[in-house]
Amino acid sequence: MTSPIAVSVEGVSKRYGDFQAVSDLSFQVAVGEIFAILGPNGAGKSTTIRMILDILKPDSGRIAVFGAPITDKAKDRIGYLPEERGLYRNVPVLEMMVYLGTLKGMTRAAAKTASMALLERLELAEHHKKKVSELSKGMQQKVQFAVTILHDPDLIIIDEPFSGLDPVNTLVIKDLLLDFARRDKAVMMSTHQMYQVEEMAGRMLMIDRGRLALYGTVNEVRQEYALPAVRVEGSGEWDSLRTVDHIEMSDNGRGEVTLYLKNGADSDDLMAEIAARSDVTVRRFELAVPTLNEIFVDVVQNRAAPRKEAVTHE
Amino acid sequence: MNKLWLVARYELMSNLKKRAFLIAAIGGPIFMLLLMAVIVLVTVQTETDLSGYAQIGVVDDSGAIVYTDDPTATVQDPPAVMFVSYPDADSAAAALAAAQIGAYIVVPADYVRTGAINLFTSGNASSALTETIERYLIRNVGADLDPDVLARVITPSAPMLRFLDSGRVVPIEAILGLLLVPLLFVLLFLITAQTTSGYLMSGVVEEKSNRVMEILITSLKPVELLAGKIIGLGALGLIQMVIWVVIAAFGATFAARGASPFLSAIVLPTDLLIMGLVYFLLGYAFLSTMMASVGVIIVAEQEARQVAGLVSLVFAAPFFAIIAFFTDPNGGLVTFLSLFPLTSPTSMIMRMAFTAVPIAQHAIAIALLIGLNIVILWIGARIFRFALLMYGKKLSVREIVGLLRRRPANTLASVPTSETAIGGAR
Repeated sequence: MTSPIAVSVEGVSKRYGDFQAVSDLSFQVAVGEIFAILGPNGAGKSTTIRMILDILKPDSGRIAVFGAPITDKAKDRIGYLPEERGLYRNVPVLEMMVYLGTLKGMTRAAAKTASMALLERLELAEHHKKKVSELSKGMQQKVQFAVTILHDPDLIIIDEPFSGLDPVNTLVIKDLLLDFARRDKAVMMSTHQMYQVEEMAGRMLMIDRGRLALYGTVNEVRQEYALPAVRVEGSGEWDSLRTVDHIEMSDNGRGEVTLYLKNGADSDDLMAEIAARSDVTVRRFELAVPTLNEIFVDVVQNRAAPRKEAVTHE
Repeated sequence: MNKLWLVARYELMSNLKKRAFLIAAIGGPIFMLLLMAVIVLVTVQTETDLSGYAQIGVVDDSGAIVYTDDPTATVQDPPAVMFVSYPDADSAAAALAAAQIGAYIVVPADYVRTGAINLFTSGNASSALTETIERYLIRNVGADLDPDVLARVITPSAPMLRFLDSGRVVPIEAILGLLLVPLLFVLLFLITAQTTSGYLMSGVVEEKSNRVMEILITSLKPVELLAGKIIGLGALGLIQMVIWVVIAAFGATFAARGASPFLSAIVLPTDLLIMGLVYFLLGYAFLSTMMASVGVIIVAEQEARQVAGLVSLVFAAPFFAIIAFFTDPNGGLVTFLSLFPLTSPTSMIMRMAFTAVPIAQHAIAIALLIGLNIVILWIGARIFRFALLMYGKKLSVREIVGLLRRRPANTLASVPTSETAIGGAR
């Protein structure tokens, strides 16, 4: 049976010459979850992924896939979509898919059936005889995705799954990934599209300059970075509220205001005060939880003095 | 190892269908053949054309030519040409000027002693013309000889050549073929090995640039990938050779029916064929492993081609010493070239045409080649393993040496470290 932990990285470091690409990194990816790995360019995401895939060897530390050091058998259970995309350009789509499928241990017949089924689902079935070079960029992206999941892997490692896809196809791929997670498979994705992480991922890891910056559930991370403030839309003299320390008008033209709370006050106090006041009305009231995007920027910009210790989940 | 065959099969099938391969494998030799056919036909045409010489005048001042008063009754050969007797040079010259005859000969009084004759012609003295005149003279001067003796005079001997060292027996017309075929074979070997290993290299460069390499390398072992490619493309090279040989055999048959006795006499001894195949396979394996490693280290295809050219130059090096193969096929230089693993494939095939190579030397050469192949495959697989993913970065010599010293590829995943706690393990 599958180990509940799909990937385990323990104290892994990797150095290229003078450049410390990854230092003392530890995290785990569980089966049945979508795990996001974030970080600015050059943070060590790809190096980490390549070490998990046994393309690169770590200088130190331990990596286990499906509960053991990676084996050739384990590699057949992984679907990997590299960051920079590419396919054989002058080979018919189906032929190429069958070849890459058999390399993952499928029989030719099974690879063919699975390829056609996937192409059908991705609305590419009619193009199966075309060469890759004859497909549009979006179609090529979908074919690459199809190659990644063709052998129904137990672990999908995917770099920027949505780059180059239109909204409709993004939705198709997203459904497929969610479906994988529901079927107790692990999905590990690296992306810059933070809202996708917020929507899809249960847990996340953010690395910066090879070091772990944030690690935990997406909600925990966001709560951890929550400001002592509330975002509201409405009307009234916000300054006059007793629990409010100072306000910040947003410039998005929708009348959104961020109310910073006084020390000792919390959002419940503010809500109660607003409810009691007849001269202040609200249409919207929410905690000023930053988006992952804001957290990302914050982490990267304040890298000299990390604001928070790493959060752990659960 | 199953995946090795998948790679081999894919490389073979996908390249077989490529237009570039079909053009090179089928179009190339057909084009060469047509070119050769045209050259041969044109040459044969001009050299054998006797259409301007329906009649040739003969002025015999020697009395050596035996003929009756009726000129048509003289022994004629070939019958298409009629020899007409003229009483003196002036009347023959007049006939030539009037285009009644295409040429005339004057056989001087001292002909029997000197053998000298004078040939007058309005056209050029093609070999066909002079041969016809010679045959005419032999038959007519010797017309009163016993026919069997005359036949021996015309064809004095039909020697079979018996090579004392190799024991090979060939008719004299085939001697050129015996020398020519190994040279052609070496040429074919070089072209085939170079094109297929070129495919291998550009395939690797392509897979590297389109990142399929990352998917491949997470699906199978580098050595499986490398060996699969070498086997698949080696099969492709053999197919190309077979196509060429079949087309060449077809061409030779055609040439035999045509006019060229020398092409039709070409024979390919079986031992040469078998050993040639062995050396081809071993030499190809080396060349292609080399090319694949070059392809994986070097980024730009342009640059890769230059290096590839250099490598195959070493293979072709024995050609530059061809004189030594003729004059001293068992000498030090030739023996060295045919044992040294980089030059042995081509050298051995060439040398076998000229002499019997001792079995022990074959054994040494083959053993050295196999050894070299094992070493180069091992190095190639290591380079593959580490250089594959270094996009846009060239490996320095120092780095290459460095990675050959590293630990084997699959033992590194479990290096224990102390006290590295995992945050948030559940």
